[in-house]
Amino acid sequence: MNLMYYIDPSIGMMIAQAALAAAAGFVLFYKNALATVKGWLGISKKKDESDFDSTYDDQDLNQD
Amino acid sequence: MKRHPASYRDPSGYIYKEDDRIYRKITPSYFNEYDAIVTAKVYELLWSKKWLIPHEEIYRNEHEIILKPEQLEFITYPYEWSFTAYKHAAQLTLRIQMLLLEHGFCLKDASAFNVTFQKGKAIFIDTLSIETYKDGEPWKALQQFNEHFLAPLILSKYYGSQHLKTLQHHINGLPLKDAATLLPWHSKLNPTIYAHIHYLGKQQNTTTGKKTTDSKKQLSKVGQLKILKSLDQYIGNLELKENTQWSHYYQQTNYDDTSFTAKKSLIKEWIHDLQAKKVVDLGGNDGTFCNEIIDQIDQALICDIDQSAIDASYKKSLKGHKMTSLVIDLLQPVAAIGFNNKERDAFINRLKDYKADVHMALAIIHHLTISGNVPFEMSAPFFTSLSEYLIIEFPDRNDSWVNFLLDSKREARSLFDGYNKADFERVYLDHFKILKRQEIKGSHRTLYLLQRNEN
Repeated sequence: MNLMYYIDPSIGMMIAQAALAAAAGFVLFYKNALATVKGWLGISKKKDESDFDSTYDDQDLNQD
Repeated sequence: MKRHPASYRDPSGYIYKEDDRIYRKITPSYFNEYDAIVTAKVYELLWSKKWLIPHEEIYRNEHEIILKPEQLEFITYPYEWSFTAYKHAAQLTLRIQMLLLEHGFCLKDASAFNVTFQKGKAIFIDTLSIETYKDGEPWKALQQFNEHFLAPLILSKYYGSQHLKTLQHHINGLPLKDAATLLPWHSKLNPTIYAHIHYLGKQQNTTTGKKTTDSKKQLSKVGQLKILKSLDQYIGNLELKENTQWSHYYQQTNYDDTSFTAKKSLIKEWIHDLQAKKVVDLGGNDGTFCNEIIDQIDQALICDIDQSAIDASYKKSLKGHKMTSLVIDLLQPVAAIGFNNKERDAFINRLKDYKADVHMALAIIHHLTISGNVPFEMSAPFFTSLSEYLIIEFPDRNDSWVNFLLDSKREARSLFDGYNKADFERVYLDHFKILKRQEIKGSHRTLYLLQRNEN
């Protein structure tokens, strides 16, 4: 049922997403490879306690 | 029953107010989608992660389904969020879309107004934004996501946090071609910015109004997940390098340890005496004083003009569940915008509706009066309109900040001769009675606990 298109999805945007997915695949591969190498060299970035995942972590959920 | 003025874009239903409570009505066109979501237990999944506002179904017939959602303590809008809060709202939208895809659903829109903050955390509030995923269909809300979230965040990264207020003058998001024009040329070297702002902005220009076949619009679920994941990573790593004079205010200010401790003790004592449960700190900086009373109260709003200070407050309150932090300029508070000027309410209206027990105006009266030229005769009735009690700090003319502000007025300094304790008390006593008054030792400041006069 397509009657719910109450926002304009823009045809150009829809078609362009295939190219975006290819670019995103490259970026993810590159970032993951870089993170692995940094891990080997022991220069991994310290985890930020205010990042999205820490915000909703289990410890926090149990405080309620 | 009063339909909410912001709830008109989606034909699937709308929210309305009855007996001071918010309800959501679902129209028959969305019944099948709603039932499919319920059957797949997707709502429960999102609630277990605290990502979606909880609701219960309280009524159903062939014409309508009525949901009773958990009531929001205070609704904040994107242009009131700090940088980290904005990032979290964007990531929440992406994470929900990724989770929904895994279960055969998707978000049909990605408006930043679908997210607000409850108990210190970003929460998705548009329950009817979920629909069934059609195999191979790209995410039709991607453009809206980029216009509402990505463009303001990237512009803030390059040019400063004032761009977080973009939606205040672009309620439907910043068009990507405009964002692309504003960004520096070297932003094209970043693959995410190039793909989502420059490239998509260009597509928007060249394909407007053109028809295409459905086969050209295909994108695998794996492909879509790659887009979402790379966006999530990019936004998660975004940083705003912006320091302001207020970022480390309490390390630099003219309080010594004794006066700072004395001020904290007084506030704790007075909040305790009032048995206040809902508190608004109008110049809350990084939330230091609200944190002092956090065990005594149920909820607090921390407002400040400074993005960096509010960002620090937001980060500190993430685990606390009681504080909501907002970037607010009292001399230019957020106005009502949208259709009929009612879609997104003005800050002051929301503040009055919040019905706090007490407002705190600590070390802001000199900024209002001297920097903002707001006379006591106007600030006093403003404060009386907010709540019965007011805790206000008055720095006298010997205070170094007051001196700095007066000096900055140069030859107009004499126009502010009326900024003194005697005149302050004279004017404020027309509107309030003084319950307590205490000079803060080691400073040139006096703290007052005031109660509104009943007319």
